[in-house]
Amino acid sequence: MPSLDFHPTVPVFDANIGVGHRHDRVAPFAGPAELSAQMKAQGVDRALVYHVQGETISAIDGNNALLAWIGDHDGFTPQWMANPNQACLAQLQTLRQEGRLSSVRLHSTTDSHLSFSDWIYGDLLDWLADADIPLWVSLADTPADQIAATLGQYPQLRTVLVGAHYMHAMAVRPLLRRLPNAHIELSRYEKLGGVEELRDEFGAERLLYGSYYPRYAMGPILYYLHTADFSTDELAAVCAGNIERILLKAIA
Amino acid sequence: MIADCEVIDFHGHVGRWDALDMADDPDRMLFAMDRAGIDRACLFNIFHPDGRRGHDLTAAFVTRHPDRFIGFAYASPLWPDDPVPELERAIDELGFRAIKIYPPYTSYNLDDPVWDPIYRFADTRGLALISHTGSEATCPPRLFANVAARFPNAHFVIGHSGNIEPHRSEAIAVARAHRNVYLETCSTFRAPGVIEKLVAGAGAARVLFGSDIPLMDPRPQLGKILTADIGHDDKRQILGNNARRLLHL
Repeated sequence: MPSLDFHPTVPVFDANIGVGHRHDRVAPFAGPAELSAQMKAQGVDRALVYHVQGETISAIDGNNALLAWIGDHDGFTPQWMANPNQACLAQLQTLRQEGRLSSVRLHSTTDSHLSFSDWIYGDLLDWLADADIPLWVSLADTPADQIAATLGQYPQLRTVLVGAHYMHAMAVRPLLRRLPNAHIELSRYEKLGGVEELRDEFGAERLLYGSYYPRYAMGPILYYLHTADFSTDELAAVCAGNIERILLKAIA
Repeated sequence: MIADCEVIDFHGHVGRWDALDMADDPDRMLFAMDRAGIDRACLFNIFHPDGRRGHDLTAAFVTRHPDRFIGFAYASPLWPDDPVPELERAIDELGFRAIKIYPPYTSYNLDDPVWDPIYRFADTRGLALISHTGSEATCPPRLFANVAARFPNAHFVIGHSGNIEPHRSEAIAVARAHRNVYLETCSTFRAPGVIEKLVAGAGAARVLFGSDIPLMDPRPQLGKILTADIGHDDKRQILGNNARRLLHL
């Protein structure tokens, strides 16, 4: 029976946290210590973090800022932003050579007024697919039809679709059918019974907990997952095991 | 279903919205409510401007599970006739407990006098009236300041608490200024600290839990309350005690 207090019962690895200031938005927390305190309060053990400056203005600047932001703090795994700029691709390749790259996140194609098309993003997508590096793509920042058309040409590329909203309710399952190597991060997916529906069709191994903090609070979706009709193993996989597997494979 | 706390969801729908894959399947709704720990949900149908058809659909839905669902009336200035007779039928014959309005489906701001017959009915009966609010031109929460004082016996519930800033702060300001204004919590914009802000701004006695079921699963929305940094007494008020008082349950 639920109670007035909620705390996660399994280890939690947040797959979707943005840090730092963006050109049009000041971060609501000062640095890693404040974020760690919030994570601890909500029962989140680890987080995959990207720098929000990379969403629109410059992936390269965002990635440089992320290095400085994390410093020597524990509990954070860096995620590197990507856009189709060749200098950005070179930066990602250097990070890969240095053993510091386990995943990449696509910038906001919508805010950048770019179509997410293979003739613009082909070099990046070819490299990611060849190197077996997973790509995070936000449905809040890139149209679903472009995701389907472009990523459909890279069936071997492992992807995580983040930020699906109830407005995407008619698109999510067709996307996952079309992209067999796609996973779905659940921070904004509030369709009625939606997580059980996705589990039934695609399996719990394709679902990931993420919060989209600081746009969204960490706790509500964790409560959703803990009250979903999941087995203990499924809950553990969705809350941490699946992202660990995805990132580890890229490092290996 | 939450120990020592009855949970009443103040914001839910009857009807279909196919583009969003929303359907009022009672089994799916009850499944999510049971998993979440929600005892009862308040439901209304906003998809029929004539009132009567939506009311009949709501009544038929609620009648199947009267211990779990509570019907609300829906009223609109688009109704071709005087709204009072149909509101009387909804409240007195169908047993509905409150009224819902949805200004974005009209061209009238919520403080336009065209809404006055509906507000006057709520005022005369001492009913709660919940409105969608947000960034839409017809229903920023600040407009409730022009209504609440004119109908002091009605209880105005600001649906979604304005949804986003600056409308959320507007909603809090109106609730602080008018004792008959309440803040309802459902919103897809689940910003960190939002519940704490509503409680600090207006007091827990003026905040009502809502989920937007079945448009949204109620579990994340209930999770917003349970994971907020507020006390148990505040949570009990928000989750059920305030609704029970407003609806005379």
